[in-house]
Amino acid sequence: MADLRPAAIMGGNRIPFARANGPYARASNQDMLTAALDGLVARFGLQNARLGEVAAGAVLKHSRDFNLTREAVLGARLSPWTPAYDVQQACGTGLETTIHVANKIALGQIESGIAAGVDTASDAPIAVNEDLRRVLLQVNRAKSLPQRLALLRKLRPTQVIPETPRNAEPRTGMSMGEHAAITAREWGITREEQDQFAVSSHLHLAAAWKRGFFDDLVTPYLGLQQDQNMRPDASMESLARLKPVFGKDGTATMTAGNSTPLSDGASAVLLSTDEWANERRLPILTHLIDAETAAVDYVHGGEGLLMAPVYAVPRLLERNKLALQDFDFYEIHEAFASTVLATLKAWEDPSYCKEHLGLSKPLGPIDRARLNVNGSSLAVGHPFAATGGRIVTTLAKLLAQKGSGRGLISICAAGGQGVVAILEAA
Amino acid sequence: MTVQLDHRPGLGRLYAKAVATARSRRGDQLPETSVEMADVTIDREQLASYAEVCGFRHSDVLPPTYPHVLAFPLAMTLMVDPSFPFPLPGLVHVANRITQQRTLRADERLTLRVRATDLRPHPRGRQFDMTIEATVAGEPVWAETSTYLRRERPRSSRSAKDPSPQPGEGQGGGIAPTAIWRVPRNIGRRYAAVSGDINPIHLNPLVARLFGFRRAIAHGMWLKARCLAALEGRLPHVLTAEVEFKSPVLLPSTVGFSSQLKGSTWAIAVFQRSSGRPHLNGSIEA
Repeated sequence: MADLRPAAIMGGNRIPFARANGPYARASNQDMLTAALDGLVARFGLQNARLGEVAAGAVLKHSRDFNLTREAVLGARLSPWTPAYDVQQACGTGLETTIHVANKIALGQIESGIAAGVDTASDAPIAVNEDLRRVLLQVNRAKSLPQRLALLRKLRPTQVIPETPRNAEPRTGMSMGEHAAITAREWGITREEQDQFAVSSHLHLAAAWKRGFFDDLVTPYLGLQQDQNMRPDASMESLARLKPVFGKDGTATMTAGNSTPLSDGASAVLLSTDEWANERRLPILTHLIDAETAAVDYVHGGEGLLMAPVYAVPRLLERNKLALQDFDFYEIHEAFASTVLATLKAWEDPSYCKEHLGLSKPLGPIDRARLNVNGSSLAVGHPFAATGGRIVTTLAKLLAQKGSGRGLISICAAGGQGVVAILEAA
Repeated sequence: MTVQLDHRPGLGRLYAKAVATARSRRGDQLPETSVEMADVTIDREQLASYAEVCGFRHSDVLPPTYPHVLAFPLAMTLMVDPSFPFPLPGLVHVANRITQQRTLRADERLTLRVRATDLRPHPRGRQFDMTIEATVAGEPVWAETSTYLRRERPRSSRSAKDPSPQPGEGQGGGIAPTAIWRVPRNIGRRYAAVSGDINPIHLNPLVARLFGFRRAIAHGMWLKARCLAALEGRLPHVLTAEVEFKSPVLLPSTVGFSSQLKGSTWAIAVFQRSSGRPHLNGSIEA
C-alpha cells in the first residue's frame, strides 16, 4: 500500500442557503446539488473532467432519488464517466462525505474527488399513508381475485392522509429541539447566553459577506445572492421578543432565534492529491489531517442527543497529540445555540470529563474569539447534509488566509452521532 | 414597419381574433411588419413551470428553447395582423432552428423582435419562416427560425410525406433508442399552460380529429425542448439546434429517443417505438 498522503482541499462552492418554502421552494435536491456541482466545475475549470468520485447525500430524500448523486453528476458538466454514490449520516453527511473522499485520496485509491451534500425542507418527500401502503402490498401479494377484493374492503377514507417526514427521533418521539432543550436545562444554559451567541453568529456572517469572504465560495441561485436567513441587524432586543418553542414551562429558553431554521441548500468541496492540484495549477488551501466519529446512547444511556462530538473530539486530540487549545479556528456546528454552549461547558467540566470522557483533566476552555468567526448555522441556515461542506470550505479558506495553523470542525447529528475533523493550512 | 409592444399582449384576445379572421385571410405576400418588445423580464415562477413540463432543471440559465415561449405572443400578434395571408388554424410547424451565441440568464432583460419571411413553395403547399431575434443591450444573443407549412394540396401518398429520408436516422428502428419516453396524455395541456400555445389540436382529441389527427398531438416545441433537456450537462454554451418535425406525436405515446455525438455535433432523433417512424430528426452543433 502507498504511504498515506493527507488529502488537499482546494476550495468549494455552494448556493446561498434559503429558508424553507422561500426562493428554492420548487427546487429539488437534484436541482440544487447539480447547481452546486456546476458552480464548482466553473470555479475550478473541471469541465468534462473525470474525477475519482463524487460522494454526496441528502437527509430528506425521495425514494426515487436513490441514486441522487450519480444522477446529479450525469446532469452536471463533469465527465459522465465519474463515479458517484450517496451517503447519509444526518447532519454529519457533508463532513462524512469529505472524510470518505479524503481517505480514498490518502490511501492512493483516487487522485481527486468531490464531497457534497444537499437538503430541501421545502420539496420534502411525502409518502402514502402507512395503512394504505400495507393494504396495497397485501393486494399485490394476494393470489386470487376474491382475496384481492377482501383486502380492498380494508381501505378507509382516513388512509388518504399521507405520511409527512417529521423532525423527530424514531425511538424517543421527541424532536431534536426537545432533546436539545433537555441538554440545555441539564447544563444550565441561559436564554441570554443563547441569544448572545445567536446575535454574534448573525453579525459575524454579515461582516464576512460584507468583506467579500464568500465571493469565491458561493454562486447565486434562483435569484438569491446571499444567505436568506442572515439578519445583519440582529440584536439582543429583537431576539428577546421571541417566545420559547422547545422545552416546557417557565424554564424554556430555546426560541426560533437561537435555533436553526428549516433550510434549503447545497454545498460541494473539491479534494485531491497535492500532485493533482499542482498539475492543474489549483491552489491548495488546506489538508485534512484526521477525523473521528462518535455516537452516544441518548435512548437509554442518559446522554444528550447532540453530545456525541463532545466524545469524538478528545479521541481525535489524543490520536494527534494535540490539546483543545492548539487550534487557530473552531467551527462548531450551531444546531442550536445551546448545543454549542453545552459542548464547551462539558469540555470545561472536570467531573464530566473524568466520568464520561475518561480524562484525567478537563479539555479546558477555548478562546471564544476563534469560534465560528464567520458565523455558522444559526445565521446561515442549516440544510442538513449541506452544512458540512459549507463548514469545511469556510475553515479551509480561513486557514489559507492566515497562511498557517489548524482548525477543528465539530458537527452533531441526529441519532446521537457526531463527526469531527482537523484541517491544517497547506 | 415595426410594431412596438410595451406589454405582453393577452393571448386570449389574439386567439379570438385568429379564429374570427381565419376565413377571410388570403394573399401571396407576408407582411413587412416586425413586432418588437424591449426589456422583457423573466418570471421565475413561469420559468420553473416550463422547466418542470419540459424536463429541464431549475436553474438560473434559460433553456435554449425558452425565448421561443417569451416571443410567442409577439408571433401571435403578427399572425393575426390583417395583412397576414394565412389563417392560424391549420398551420403546421415543420422545422425549427435555434442559434444561441451564449447562455442566457434568467436575470437578463431581452429585446425580442419577430418577423415573417421567405414565403416559398412546399410540395404540399406553401411554407414560410417566423424569425425571432433576441438581443441583450443591443448584443444579438439568440435567434430562431420556425418554418410553418400551409397545407394546400392533399398528400398524395404516405411516402410523399417524407421526401428526403435520412438513412439510419430513426428509420424503421435503424438505430437503437438511447432512451424510451412515455409521453403522457396530458402533456399537450400542460405545455399549453406554460407556453400559452393553446392550439386545440394539442388539447382535445375531438378537435384534433377535425384537423385530421387521430388523437391530440404533442407540441413540436415541447418535443424539441424535451430533447434538449435530455442532453442536460452536455449542451455547448454556444449552439445551433436544428430540428425537423417529421410526424406528430399522438398522445399518449411511447417514443424512442436517440442521441449520438459525432465530432462536436449531436445527432438526435425521436421516433415511434413500435414502427420506427420518425417524429423528429435534428442536430445540435457547437
